[in-house]
Amino acid sequence: MTRPSENIRDWLEATSGIVGVLLLVQVATGVLLAFYYVPSVDHAHTTVSYIEKVVSSGAWLRSLHHYGSQWLSLFVFLHVIRLFLTRAYASNRVQWIVGILLLGLVMAAGGTGYSLPWDARAFFSTRIAEGLMAGLPFVGPMARLWLLGGSDISTITLSRLFALHVLVIPACVGAVVVLRLFRANVAEIFGPRHAIAGGVVFLLLALWCLKYRAPLGPSVAAMPIDYVPRPGAQFLWLYQSLKFLPGGLGSLAGVVLPGIVLTILVLLPWLKRQRLIAGTILGVMGVLVVAMTTASYLSDRNDPQTARQLAIQAAHEDAWRRESFTPAPITLATAMAMSVETGSAPGGQPNMYIKFCAECHGLNGEGGQLGRLRFPPLIDVSTKPRRTSDDIVGLLKDPAAYGLQPPMRSFSNRLTEEQMKEIGEWIVTLKK
Amino acid sequence: MDHEPSRRSFLKLVPLGILAGVFASIGGAAFRFLRPRLSAATDSWLDVAPVAELTGPQPLSRKIAAEQIAGWAINIEEHNVFVLPAKDHQVLSPVCPHEGCEVAWDQNTNRFACPCHESYFAADGARISGPAPRGLDRLPMRVQNGKLQVQYVTKEQATQA
Repeated sequence: MTRPSENIRDWLEATSGIVGVLLLVQVATGVLLAFYYVPSVDHAHTTVSYIEKVVSSGAWLRSLHHYGSQWLSLFVFLHVIRLFLTRAYASNRVQWIVGILLLGLVMAAGGTGYSLPWDARAFFSTRIAEGLMAGLPFVGPMARLWLLGGSDISTITLSRLFALHVLVIPACVGAVVVLRLFRANVAEIFGPRHAIAGGVVFLLLALWCLKYRAPLGPSVAAMPIDYVPRPGAQFLWLYQSLKFLPGGLGSLAGVVLPGIVLTILVLLPWLKRQRLIAGTILGVMGVLVVAMTTASYLSDRNDPQTARQLAIQAAHEDAWRRESFTPAPITLATAMAMSVETGSAPGGQPNMYIKFCAECHGLNGEGGQLGRLRFPPLIDVSTKPRRTSDDIVGLLKDPAAYGLQPPMRSFSNRLTEEQMKEIGEWIVTLKK
Repeated sequence: MDHEPSRRSFLKLVPLGILAGVFASIGGAAFRFLRPRLSAATDSWLDVAPVAELTGPQPLSRKIAAEQIAGWAINIEEHNVFVLPAKDHQVLSPVCPHEGCEVAWDQNTNRFACPCHESYFAADGARISGPAPRGLDRLPMRVQNGKLQVQYVTKEQATQA
């Protein structure tokens, strides 16, 4: 019989098994996503939508990759704390250094991965990465240009983040894992306890992902002007901290400080007063992350305007998931051939009305409701002031100028003048 | 102490079993995820040209545009076809039935030549010589409102038919 305290100690060691299994899941799901994903600003969102809506098991596998990365960040952090508690920095230097490096690499993978779907969240996350780079002392402007691959965010930026995310960072993770397994007894590193802990966490993650879909916001091209982005759970601490930090200080908190902290932790085996240094750093990190993450949840919940906007966005995403997938043209010639989409359905509705408006306002303009959102009927709308067919064209371009609020948004980059005119002329004919 | 060795070897199997379970669940999803999607066979009629413009003794090279949907992408693919005005406007696929290279019409020798493996075809598409197993495939055609129209058939579809 082992004493209970030894038993707990044995089970604490299983954190490395959880990290190992989650790493394997990230690699497997990442490889699979790459079979459909295209890293270019005009197709990234389309291919991710295709994975979500059309490909069998696509939504589940993407969910595993998305939430798996958040769980992995959490468990790598817990793993580092466990290594600290068992004084691995003194007894097993390689294990300690590998743990710290993995923490940095997993956060880097999460940061680069956020940009890849090229939805509204990705766009803002890329903007923030740009800002964090630009604010660095001395090297800021240069670092920004190198990250973007040019003077502005472009499809080159997306390619760079893609290469970092799927080639460079995984290669570094692989090297770190090889370093850990080299000359080690694998049966000892991955014993029954590690396997059971890893298996249980995988089972929970798999069930979680059956229930929760990885989020996907509107594409950058169709992004509403009032979109409110929120990062993934593992970056909420940074997001919340940036609210309090002006300009360059954000770069210090988001890049320089984490860099210094990781460097100190990597060098810890060669430092004196190890217990004090690592204990202080990990303690402050833990408290900060928990406090900032909680604060960000609370501030979103307690601010009615933000809460409403987030609810609207969630309703939009639900509606988007119910829409069937439309293939995207891949050559300019195809796009031009498809763009002259005018004409009417047998019921008299312009084709573009059916495509863009009917989902919310009803196939015959009868209005509708979606969750907590109500969409006004269009029947008899021409009897109201400022609702001639010309007004409707103007309204489709700039809803705010006609006193309308989101979720109604501008369609000026979706519809041609002719298509808007067709819709306007049809809507004014709708009578009770 | 007798059962100790068997217990140990069982414990060794636990990690393998759990890993196998993780991979089996992802593997099953991966199989469905990667399974190729067959695009529905299109039997749409594609315009070639007004019949009145297709005259003369020689085979005429014309382009047709077919809409192709591949997964998330939609594309208008251009295909070459050969119209035989002297043969009631029959339409030949230029795809060599051997390995699928596109044949060219050689005016000097009055025959189609495959650039890859030296198969030759007569002006009506019949096989003359070379490794091709049959003559050039004929595409289904019709004349609608004075316009010649065809259905595009791939080499694989023609081979199965």
